[in-house]
Amino acid sequence: MNEEQQSEKSSSVRSGVMDAIQKGRIQMRPRWHFVLLSILALVGVLILFLTLLYVSSLALFFLRDSGVWVAPSFGMRGWWTVVRGVPWFLVFLVAIFILVLELLVRRYAFVYQKPLLASVVGILILIVVGGFAIAQTPMHRQLALSARHGDLPPPLQFWYGDMFRAPQPDELYRGVIISIGDHQFVIVDPGTGTTTVILTPRTRLPYGEDFSVGASVVVIGDVVATDTIQAFGVAEVDN
Amino acid sequence: MTSETDEVVARRVQGGESEAFGDLVERYQGKLLRYARKFLLDPDDAKDIVQDIFIKAYQNIQSFDATRRFSPWVYRIAHNEFVNALKKRKASRTVFAFDIDTLFPHLPAAETADSATLERDLRKTLDEHLQRVDAKYREPLILYYLEGMDYKEISEILQIPISTVGVRLARARAMLRKIGEQSTEL
Repeated sequence: MNEEQQSEKSSSVRSGVMDAIQKGRIQMRPRWHFVLLSILALVGVLILFLTLLYVSSLALFFLRDSGVWVAPSFGMRGWWTVVRGVPWFLVFLVAIFILVLELLVRRYAFVYQKPLLASVVGILILIVVGGFAIAQTPMHRQLALSARHGDLPPPLQFWYGDMFRAPQPDELYRGVIISIGDHQFVIVDPGTGTTTVILTPRTRLPYGEDFSVGASVVVIGDVVATDTIQAFGVAEVDN
Repeated sequence: MTSETDEVVARRVQGGESEAFGDLVERYQGKLLRYARKFLLDPDDAKDIVQDIFIKAYQNIQSFDATRRFSPWVYRIAHNEFVNALKKRKASRTVFAFDIDTLFPHLPAAETADSATLERDLRKTLDEHLQRVDAKYREPLILYYLEGMDYKEISEILQIPISTVGVRLARARAMLRKIGEQSTEL
């Protein structure tokens, strides 16, 4: 294209645009429109972030509540128990929410100027640390107890019931010691009743064997008789 | 045309002086037409698309932060319009796909002693073979070599990490060299 054609094209661009402006065919959007959009985007990001914190803390609480939390201290078999005891639906939900959050914040310069991996890892760290902190508060425990007594309204009742929990792994038991004998003790759990736990020289005791009546324990083991298990590992946990 | 900066003119438009927008159109229409012709490889609809870019810029000028530079803002609108135009034509597959280069951090490429010579050769072959480079790599080449933008400005326009701009430019240069060598052999 020669210079004359280029210049002609340029002037027709200008005249076309200015003509449309002057005749009112195109209107400038008001400032409040963009302010409102920015506020809505920020509120969306905030709500999504808080939802993420809540869901991740609930997943961590379920892990802790089921006793799966301490299973890795028993070695490889413990890790396998963890894989089966993780509330995968909640983990999937967290992954989806992180992707949506990443898409929402990608428009901000401080995010898109960093590699995608850095911002996703950053969000992940915030979610895990925040979720862990919330999981330490009594909020989930109290709501879970209320759900157990059927005191919560329907959506929360399902949420804190069994719907989103992973099924308890067969070999995992959690209970409170009610009596201690020679190389064995009896635990009670409101759901499964009493179980006798037999300790052998090969039983893994990562936090020691100084158990006392009233202590809350997590046991991984195999059923050897009715309501009796031979412990592969035993660990005392917070009540 | 006034000697005011783009940002001052944009502020006047934001304040209600619609006629001042003509100055901005005057300043950028040539550059954007060149950008459109080189990127879209189709001079026929370049004028219409550039006109649409200015219409979008006018409609959204209140979202422009006048404390920042006007140029990357208007080029960002242009980039979006061009990508939409390519999508309609289905002219490029890679420009819209997820880019693995934005996923990981990259180290800047080391400068070599013959960089300057290679750069000169590259500029020579740029015009000749640009149309044979895929849109994803063609765009940073245009912005860097023809529009004279730096990595940070290109990063703002394409909304990708600065290190990814470097990676795309390095690959684009390599492609151009290869194309140049092949055409010399023929």
